Amino acid sequence: MNMNRTYKIAGTVFLVLAAFIAWESLELKFYTNNGPGPGFFPFWLSMALALLAGLMIFQATFREPEPMPEGFFASRAGYLRAGAIVTALAVTTAFLDIVGFPLIMLATILFLLFALGRPGMIVTLLVSAAGSFGCFYLFDRWLKVPLPTGFFGF
Amino acid sequence: MESLQLLLDGFGVACQPMNLVLAFAGCLMGTLIGVLPGIGPAAGTAMLIPVTVGMNPTGAIIMLASIFYGAMYGGTITSVLINTPGEAASAITCLDGYQMARQGRAGSALAIAAIGSFIGGTITTMGLVLVALPLTRFALRFGPPEFFSLMLVGLSLVTGLAGRSLVRALLSAVLGLLIAQVGIDLVMGAPRFTFGRMELLDGFGIVPVVMGVFGIGEILINAESLSHGVLNTKMRSILPTRKDLKDSALPIARGTVVGFLLGLIPGVGAIIPTFVSYAMEKRMSKTPERFGTGMIEGVAGPETANNAYANASLIPLFTLGIPGSPTTAILMGALMMNGIIPGPSLFQENGQLVWAVIASLYIGNAILLILNLPLIPMWVALLKIPFSIMTVLIFVFCVIGAYSLSNSAFDIGVMLGFGLLGYAFRKLDIPLAPMILTMILGPLMERGLRQSLEMSNGHASILFTRPLSGTLLVIALVIIATSTFRAFSAVKGETEV
Repeated sequence: MNMNRTYKIAGTVFLVLAAFIAWESLELKFYTNNGPGPGFFPFWLSMALALLAGLMIFQATFREPEPMPEGFFASRAGYLRAGAIVTALAVTTAFLDIVGFPLIMLATILFLLFALGRPGMIVTLLVSAAGSFGCFYLFDRWLKVPLPTGFFGF
Repeated sequence: MESLQLLLDGFGVACQPMNLVLAFAGCLMGTLIGVLPGIGPAAGTAMLIPVTVGMNPTGAIIMLASIFYGAMYGGTITSVLINTPGEAASAITCLDGYQMARQGRAGSALAIAAIGSFIGGTITTMGLVLVALPLTRFALRFGPPEFFSLMLVGLSLVTGLAGRSLVRALLSAVLGLLIAQVGIDLVMGAPRFTFGRMELLDGFGIVPVVMGVFGIGEILINAESLSHGVLNTKMRSILPTRKDLKDSALPIARGTVVGFLLGLIPGVGAIIPTFVSYAMEKRMSKTPERFGTGMIEGVAGPETANNAYANASLIPLFTLGIPGSPTTAILMGALMMNGIIPGPSLFQENGQLVWAVIASLYIGNAILLILNLPLIPMWVALLKIPFSIMTVLIFVFCVIGAYSLSNSAFDIGVMLGFGLLGYAFRKLDIPLAPMILTMILGPLMERGLRQSLEMSNGHASILFTRPLSGTLLVIALVIIATSTFRAFSAVKGETEV
């Protein structure tokens, strides 16, 4: 596997995306009596995207093979750490309004600390308390930045 | 003289106790966020926007501007101490700064960077004062066609942000323009690419997008490789010697000029001035072979150019409404959130605010100098925080930053989505800055074009026949042609080698 193949795959993805955007923009009004309509810009931009994606595939096909840069693929542990962050963000997005900021943060911080490094019981407790209830009071109560409280009311 | 009088009035506002406190807090938080490896000034400034919610617009913008240049300086600290640039513009500082740190001269390197940043920032702010009003008056003659052509010039300069591939840079720029298409069409009010989601009617917010591509994307890369630098340097003193000061004087002067001139050109990006300055210092040195071994000139010049650029890049932002970098794009977004539209009319409609912000730039530069020299040991201590705790802290701030702008968890999802995109772009070596710049400039350009065509009943000739618009279009074409030629030459060169 070399970078050229990666660029071919990426170029194909961009090409499909361009086709989808072109299709969607043709559903919008393309031109009006006063000039371009809402579909005009996205359509031509999708054409530009398709052209550039085509160029990317062309370059990747006819250029000298480019080796994979160091660190392109991570270790299993590396992917698990990155996956933990993605999971924590996805869970926060899904449950923030329901559970409230302090509790969802407490849960995700404990999960992240466990997944990323396990710094010790006292530090874990301190960081999770500061990042959840501490930040809630700092932003919501002190700086007046409203944060969700959820069904527990805090 | 008029500018100086307005500046003095601005000082009257900026020196109010509350605004001074905000400038101080902004510098402190900005430096703190800049010190955290992986969080550059763009994501850092975006993360801290919620802190300014509820403030009056003047205080909020003063604080955000302070965060902005605090973060620019913060990136230097990690470059010198752990050989990890906090942001791309500080990358060149690693070469000599880290070598100085290994020799026990980290204090000198950081102090010279702070002094150079202060001098460069202060002098270029004076340039901003002198240039702002004439440039604004000139730009007030712009109608929609001129505005469209000006935006096209701004977009064409995006090609300057191309890394190793012009195609990938343009691809990133087009994607930014497409992202900007999401939401209600400004001219006819039709929803575009919203897929029935109410949250998308206003389009993607610039803050969750920037925090995603720069903040979350970088965290994912760091988490994957655990590439968190470890501090293994010692500091003998935080003060530079007399020789250090003497050796740095001319590089600081040259760095100021380089940063100022390149800051006037939108789209240049903060990396180029630092590299130009470094190359210039190396060329002018009597001992160029010693660059990379701990030469203070290699720190003084680029760091001055970096800060001079940061201040000068506010000139096109304030006067023409063109952000020159992702961080100034965030600043532009923050201004717009406060109901202030950067551009030619800014000085007329919000004169008091703008001059107060310009005055606060002087104050902020002074605060940074005073703040950073004694606090260097504290920043050093911060770098010893383990990766897991650092990541958790960034995670919490990102969540608050994304949520609080429209009190919507949907924006956290947007941040996650763009974080994954940023991660993929880093892997594919696709530059991120063009996407952010075009995302900001795209809607302005589209509105300019559509209003122009309405003015001319659909005749595109209006763009060429008006002298100012025509000239700007020619400039845009020349820039695009030059970049394309350069890209082809590079490809040809590679093939021949």
